Amino acid sequence: MTYSSSIAASRRGYVRRNQNSVRFSASARALGPISNTIVLIVLACLVGLLYLTQVTRTNGYGYTINSLQQEQSQLKDKKASLEVEAARLQSLNRVADSHTAKNLVSVAPSGVLNQ
Amino acid sequence: MAPSRPRGAAGPHRVSTNHRLRILYAAVILIMGIIVLRLFYLQIIRHDHYRQAALSDQLKQYTIAADRGIIYAHQGDNVVPLVLNQKLYTLYADPTLVNNPNASAAKLAAITNGDEGRYSQLLKTRPSRYQVLAKRLSENQKSKILALGLPGVGLQAQDYRVYPQGALAANLLGFVDDSGNGQYGIEQQFNNQLAGKQGMLKAITDVNGVPLAASRDNIQKNPVAGNNFVLTIDTAMEQQVQDILQAQLKKVGSKQGCVVVMDPNTGSIKAMASYPTYDPSKYYQVSDISAFNDLAVSDPIEVGSIMKTLTISTGLDKGVITTNSAYPDPGYVNIDGATIKNVLPIPENPVTIKDVMRDSLNTGAIHVFKLLGGGQYDQQGRDILHDYLVNHFQLGKPTGVEQPGEGAGGIPNPDQGSALNLQYANTSFGQGMTATMLQMASAVSSVVNGGTYYQPHLVEKETGTNGSSDSFDTKIVKRNVVKPSTAAGLRDLMEYVYDSNYAIYSSQLHPGYNVGGKTGTAQVAINGGYSKTDFNATFVGFVGGDKPQYVVAVMVKDPYTFESEGAQAAAPIFGKITNMLINDFNVLPTSH
Repeated sequence: MTYSSSIAASRRGYVRRNQNSVRFSASARALGPISNTIVLIVLACLVGLLYLTQVTRTNGYGYTINSLQQEQSQLKDKKASLEVEAARLQSLNRVADSHTAKNLVSVAPSGVLNQ
Repeated sequence: MAPSRPRGAAGPHRVSTNHRLRILYAAVILIMGIIVLRLFYLQIIRHDHYRQAALSDQLKQYTIAADRGIIYAHQGDNVVPLVLNQKLYTLYADPTLVNNPNASAAKLAAITNGDEGRYSQLLKTRPSRYQVLAKRLSENQKSKILALGLPGVGLQAQDYRVYPQGALAANLLGFVDDSGNGQYGIEQQFNNQLAGKQGMLKAITDVNGVPLAASRDNIQKNPVAGNNFVLTIDTAMEQQVQDILQAQLKKVGSKQGCVVVMDPNTGSIKAMASYPTYDPSKYYQVSDISAFNDLAVSDPIEVGSIMKTLTISTGLDKGVITTNSAYPDPGYVNIDGATIKNVLPIPENPVTIKDVMRDSLNTGAIHVFKLLGGGQYDQQGRDILHDYLVNHFQLGKPTGVEQPGEGAGGIPNPDQGSALNLQYANTSFGQGMTATMLQMASAVSSVVNGGTYYQPHLVEKETGTNGSSDSFDTKIVKRNVVKPSTAAGLRDLMEYVYDSNYAIYSSQLHPGYNVGGKTGTAQVAINGGYSKTDFNATFVGFVGGDKPQYVVAVMVKDPYTFESEGAQAAAPIFGKITNMLINDFNVLPTSH
């Protein structure tokens, strides 16, 4: 037995009859038309759901914005009221009617000192 | 044994099932087809129609009101608000929803200090759906009303003007009506600038009217607040001038009067008071709308003898007289068939120009008019006097002050009309012509300040919301109104008048200061003639040290006092204002 024939004999020990010596992996499975349709519908639903989620979330911000704007408006009104109140407290009439002002004493008209 | 049915062959039952399935499929497809077609019709063909229908329900447009500008004035070195905005509330009710009108009225009246009976009546006025119960309620009152939780009762917010200084300077400020429009005064003059530009929100909203942020159709345009104004007025001075004016009018039984206090070196109006006046926050309670007028601006009158200051200035400037000139005066003048006399007797002849000013001699003013004509009453004299009054002292035309409805007054045409020389003789002492107190203050200012006519103005600065600022610079209308020597001469004459008559003016001397003035008493024109009982009293004067710091013009209409009204009715106002200015407003004394 030659060396090459001994090699061939050893190979034959592993190979059965009518069997390819090369093993092919299973070919890529192609989806059928129904599966494709279902997948597309599911994807479309997912996209729609995503869109709805985003729209709902954005509109939710709208309520937050509206609430903050109302708060801002109320604070502005409060500030305006406080400014009015501060101005009233400093008004001439109020100062003139104050206890301090009523206790003030009139002074004679001023003159000029001759140096 | 029965023969077996070949595999795959349909029996009667199977055939029936397949047939039904096909029918079902066909029905489903048909229904779906119908739905698709319907959707196509609704969404594609009727797209615009349904879009509009949907938007009409969901798309709402709101107007966003702009804040009205604030008006400030000086208070010493500070700037304080004269007019502010405040949100107040209107209380309304829908009577169809009110359960117990009497009980509701009692609760509401207790909070608003309103009339319970009136409220009760309004709450019962069915089928009306809207009744206004009260206006201008405060935030505190609003909260109390909301806490009651009364059905059918609501509150609506609205911006109102509020006046922390009360009725101070009401006649020059004006007011804002319920429609948001400025009426009278600064509010009307600068209505567009004060009002700003309202904004707009156009948005898809939910059922509660809250805008949905995700809508592409939302449009928001922010409002632009109105500009703020700073006036030249000093509030403390204005208040005192107002008080002095009102007290004196009451004392002499006058129902109308005004005062202007002006800086003659800039034209800035420091105080301008008018009476009758009103509370601008309650303008709707005013029954006589003449109370809204700013008399110093809108009411030209025959000014009387304060005109002599301008006639004599003309004579001094043309060189036909000096402050020491003297002339023989018989105490009357005959012109065009009329005889003109004086109120006071003529002093010893020859009469001097100082006498003319001190005793307010009409014949003296006519004498100057005669000298302007080269020694006779003629066209030349009329032309010169007209030229000075109109082109130098700017009478007969509005000054351009920032007030609506300014009166122009009138100076007789020197070329047209009858008895022209008589007309101009009258004009020389302030009859037969008209001018406002503001015109007279400005004209006299232009003489005593050395010869520059500044446009009188009330606004110092306008500030926009973007921070831009416009200063209303001092505007010179005319230079070289008179020569400096004329200005000095008139100042001396007016000081002589004041020093001679201060006691009559219920005033006092002010050593170290220069105070000058001139009284005026004008007969009131009625039905083509002059009333023998009605007079207007006027006064114009200045206060200062080395140079006049303030010019004051006063008008008192129809006081009870007879004759010498200018001295007894108007001059005391000037005297008291002079004391006030020297004591409180930093008038610098003379340097020598």
